[in-house]
Amino acid sequence: MSQIRFISLICLVLLAGAMVGVVAGYSTPESIVAAGKVYVSSATYDPAVFFPGDKGTLTVEVTNGNENDTGIVVNHATLSSDKIISISRPYDSSSNIGPGQKKLYTFSVTADASDGTYYPTFSLDFRDADSLYYRTIAKIEDTPIVLTIVDQPDTFTQGKKKTIYAQVANPRENTVKNIILDVSGSGITATPSKIFVGELTPGAKVPVNFSVTADQPTNLHLVVNYDNGDNPHTVNMDLPITFGVDKKQANPVMSNVLVKSDAGIYHITGDINNAGLETANTVMVTSLSPAVPQDPYKTYVVGALKPDDFGSFEVTFAATNTETVPLQLTYKDTDGNVYNSVQDVKVSANNADQKSTGLPIIPIIGAIAILALFIGGWIVYLKKYKQ
Amino acid sequence: MNHSIIDLLIRPGAFFQNAMNEKESLKFPALIVLAGGIAGALYGYLIGGLTGQLLNGIMPGMDSIIVLTTVIGALVGTFIFWVVWAGVMYAFSFVFKGQGTFRRTLEFVGYGYLPQVFGTFITFVIALDYIPRIHVPQLSAAAAQNPELLTEAVKALMHDPAMMELSQIAMIISMVFLLWSANIWIFGMQHSRKLSPRDAALCVGIPVVVYILYMVYSIAVM
Repeated sequence: MSQIRFISLICLVLLAGAMVGVVAGYSTPESIVAAGKVYVSSATYDPAVFFPGDKGTLTVEVTNGNENDTGIVVNHATLSSDKIISISRPYDSSSNIGPGQKKLYTFSVTADASDGTYYPTFSLDFRDADSLYYRTIAKIEDTPIVLTIVDQPDTFTQGKKKTIYAQVANPRENTVKNIILDVSGSGITATPSKIFVGELTPGAKVPVNFSVTADQPTNLHLVVNYDNGDNPHTVNMDLPITFGVDKKQANPVMSNVLVKSDAGIYHITGDINNAGLETANTVMVTSLSPAVPQDPYKTYVVGALKPDDFGSFEVTFAATNTETVPLQLTYKDTDGNVYNSVQDVKVSANNADQKSTGLPIIPIIGAIAILALFIGGWIVYLKKYKQ
Repeated sequence: MNHSIIDLLIRPGAFFQNAMNEKESLKFPALIVLAGGIAGALYGYLIGGLTGQLLNGIMPGMDSIIVLTTVIGALVGTFIFWVVWAGVMYAFSFVFKGQGTFRRTLEFVGYGYLPQVFGTFITFVIALDYIPRIHVPQLSAAAAQNPELLTEAVKALMHDPAMMELSQIAMIISMVFLLWSANIWIFGMQHSRKLSPRDAALCVGIPVVVYILYMVYSIAVM
C-alpha cells in the first residue's frame, strides 16, 4: 500500500512539474549570476515621437553579456503601460539568448494619451532567475508640421499666372517623411499641383513654390500630407483667391488722339504710353463695330512697350451715322495672357468740322451782283431804247 | 460769212442785222459749238480723271471708262444744250408772237455760244492749276458693298477745299460768259424772231436768269 502511495506521489510531482515546465526552472546561484549579465542595450520607438492615437513599434534590444557557454532561457517578454499600449503579445513563449548574442523584441503599440512623456516598462522573465525590468521613454506630441505662405501676389487677375511662395517646416522632435503638398481649387490651374518634399528632420524647413492661374475668384486648397512613422497626417490651408487690379501690371494708355476724316474713311492717330510697372507685349490697336476697319491700317501693331515707354499708332476705318467709335487696345503679359481695353473716340465733331464749310457767301454775292448788273444794264438800255 | 467775230462779241445788234441778209447756215455756229464742246471736253477730262481716281479702287480700269464717258458727254452735251437753249428761247418767243424759223434761231444761238467757248477754256486753264491740289479719297473694293461709303467719298471729294474753290471760280466764270452769251442771244432773238428788244430780253433773260439761279443754288447746297 505504501508503495502505491509513493508511486502516486511521484506521478503527482511529475505532473505538477510538467504543468509548470516552461515557466519555472531551477534557480541556481550560477543561473542567477548569468541572468544578471543580461541587459537591455537599446529601446527604440518608431516613430520616435507619437501623435496621440498613432500606432508604432517599440524595439528592445536585449544583450546576453555572458562570455562562456551560458545561455539564458527566457520564458516571456512583455510591455506594460496604460498610455503606450501594447497591441500584440508576440513573446509569450520561451526562447533562448545565446552567450554574447543580442535579441530584438518588437512590440506594436498605440499611443493612447495626450501630449507628454511616458515610461512603459519592458519586462523579461527568465526561466532560471527573476525577471528583468526596463523603463522605456515614450513621447507623445500633438504638434503638426507647419505650412507657411512666404509671399503671394497682392491680387490675382483672371487668366494670369501668379507665383505663390510657400514653406513647409517641421517643429516636431522627430523626422516626418513622405511630405507631399497638394494644390487644388475650383477654376484653378496650379503648376505643379502636387509637390513632393520627402523627409523633414526636426527643425528643418523647405521652400515650395507653385504657380496659380485662376479663372474665377475662389479658395485655393493647400493640403500637406505626411507620415509620422506609418501614420498619415494632413495639414490644410485655404487661401482666398480674389480678383483685383494688379498694382504692377502693364497699363497702356491711349493719348494724343487725332481724328481725320477722308471720304468716310477715318484716320485716327495717337500714342500709347505704358503707365504700368510691367512690360506690355504685342500692343495692338484696332477699331470695333460700328466701325469697319479698312486698309491700310485695319490693325496697328505697336509692339512691346516697357514701363514708361510709348509708341504711336494709326488705324483706318469706315463709319457712318455714328458719333463715337470704340478703339480696342490689346496687349499680352509675359505669360501670353491677353488683356483688352476699349476707349471711345468721338468722330462726329470732326466730321462736322470737315463739313462745316458753310455757304460760299462771297461767290454767291458775286454771282448775284453780276446778275443784277446784267439785268440793270439791260433795263437801262431798254429805257434809253424806248426814248 | 462776212462779219467779224469782234462785231459778234461787241456789237451783236449790227452783226445779226447783217446776218439776217444772208442765207441761214449752221456751219459756223456748229463750229463755235464744237469749239465749246472741245473746251468742255478738256475740262471734263480733268474732272472725270478725279472721279476715275475715286472709283478706281472699287474696280480697277474704271478710271478710263469714266474719263471717256465724261469727255464724250461734254462734247455731245454742248450740242444738246445748244438745241435746248434754242428750243426754250424759241418757245418763249411764241408768247410774244415771234416770227422766224427755228433754224435761224438755232443759228443765232450758236453764234452766241462764242463767249462760253472762251469761258470754258479759261476754266480749263484754271483747273490745270487746281486739279493737282485736290485730294481724291481712296476707296477699297469693300466700298462697293456699302453705298453710304461711296456717297461719303463723293461728298468728301466735292468738299475738298481746292475742289470747292475751283467749283466756285468755274461758276462765276460760267455765269459771266453765259451772261455775255445771253447779251448776244437777246440781239439774236430780236432779229431771228422779229421781236422788240424788250420781248427778246424777256425771251432770253427768263431762262438764263433761272439757269443762273439754279447754278448759284447748286453751289450753295454743295
